[in-house]
Amino acid sequence: MTGSYDIVVKNSIVQFKFRVSRNITILRGDSATGKTTMVDMVRQHALEGDASGVSISTQKECTVLTGIRWQDEIRGIRDSIVFIDEGFSFVSSDEFARAIRDSDNYYVIATRDSLFNLPYSIKEIYRIRTVSRRSKYQEYDRIYSEFYPIYDDSVKYVRPDAVIVEDSNAAYDFFNALCQKEGIRCISAAGKTGIYSKIKETTDGVVLVIADGAAFGSEMERVMSLRRVRNTVLFLPESFEWLILRSGLIDGAEVQDILKSPYDYIESGRYFSWERFFTVLLTERTVDTHLQYSKRRLNPNYLNDREASAIRKVISDMTGGDGQT
Amino acid sequence: MLNVYYGKTDEAIYNTAMYFDNVFQVTWLDDPYVRKMIKNVDKSEVIGDYLIKSKALGMISPKQLSGGVKTLILTYFKPEILFNASTCGDNCARWFLDMSKKNDRTINLRHVMDFGNGTFDVHVLNTDQVVHSMDELVLIAGDLI
Repeated sequence: MTGSYDIVVKNSIVQFKFRVSRNITILRGDSATGKTTMVDMVRQHALEGDASGVSISTQKECTVLTGIRWQDEIRGIRDSIVFIDEGFSFVSSDEFARAIRDSDNYYVIATRDSLFNLPYSIKEIYRIRTVSRRSKYQEYDRIYSEFYPIYDDSVKYVRPDAVIVEDSNAAYDFFNALCQKEGIRCISAAGKTGIYSKIKETTDGVVLVIADGAAFGSEMERVMSLRRVRNTVLFLPESFEWLILRSGLIDGAEVQDILKSPYDYIESGRYFSWERFFTVLLTERTVDTHLQYSKRRLNPNYLNDREASAIRKVISDMTGGDGQT
Repeated sequence: MLNVYYGKTDEAIYNTAMYFDNVFQVTWLDDPYVRKMIKNVDKSEVIGDYLIKSKALGMISPKQLSGGVKTLILTYFKPEILFNASTCGDNCARWFLDMSKKNDRTINLRHVMDFGNGTFDVHVLNTDQVVHSMDELVLIAGDLI
């Protein structure tokens, strides 16, 4: 499934309006904001359609996943937006991760569990908030609610005392080279799950964490919680490959079109997360060129003045920096 | 004191909303402390045995209370049972701390619940450590979820 979908779920009491653009969307936030109410309305509509009294406006079929036969249910659902309420422990299982990796649906999951085996984006973690209540004529007005992102990827330029890079391969090679020039310590976390521990161990002043935002969602809560005790700044572009693609080093107007609306190009059944798509795209587009990309080890040509400056320019544009870090 | 077991455990009741719906006792709603929790978390007022006036949804039954407040009520009335408190948002955290001041309560968390900026006593069962602030807790909890 590809695409971005605006969805409105409503009855006479409440309306939820939101957009889903990737295969996994997570709903968290305070209690009593309407998560269960919304999923139950989707369930009622899936059972009885408009005869349920619930109205759903979107281009894709919306349904719910419940119960002990969830694996059979998933196998029978195609090209749909699937909602899962909290209270179902299977969402944190490896079996569930495998099942949705191999399906072509989008999933909206209400849970506060950090689903470490699912590669969801930091941009697709939401809370529900009420935006307005209207009508003077009813005792109970309709509540208008929407999804509101809990995290964003904006970051202000800061000169760090240490840099922790999620990656141990090409991205680490690149950022380590930049850090060496600046005299900054650069550490590999050898994977996203290692970042929390690396931050805890680091006693340097300002710690900059660089990770793939496209798949870092499950780590966000515990990493953000450390900001109470560690001066941590997060730089979370979609991925290192996305930075290179954004830099203009790779020819082709199509690449820039893809970056404007990746959801129109990334088939959820083929790519579990967007960063995998960007890796494939960059690898394919650089075959037999001087910038031939390998995720395992950085092609040294990316450290040439022209190439490194172009990538640093993207970072600076995102952080408001001076292009030096 | 509030005891917290972090991470997955088969000992905990995971789907607390379902459990609440099936063990609910009508007398629970007569308790002033329960009424306070419902008012604070769900912005709702208990009107009668099976009737609650919700600011958001109008007249509702106890089954339509939020998952968070259902878990609070269960933890309050059934301290001998371990419940998955990750069905609760941070707006429930102060109630767990408050109800465990008089009598110990034990909850299971699968996320880093924010207990606020004040001081408190939380016993992390996994490591047998007692912490008194979020600054202490965040250095432990993230490794356990």
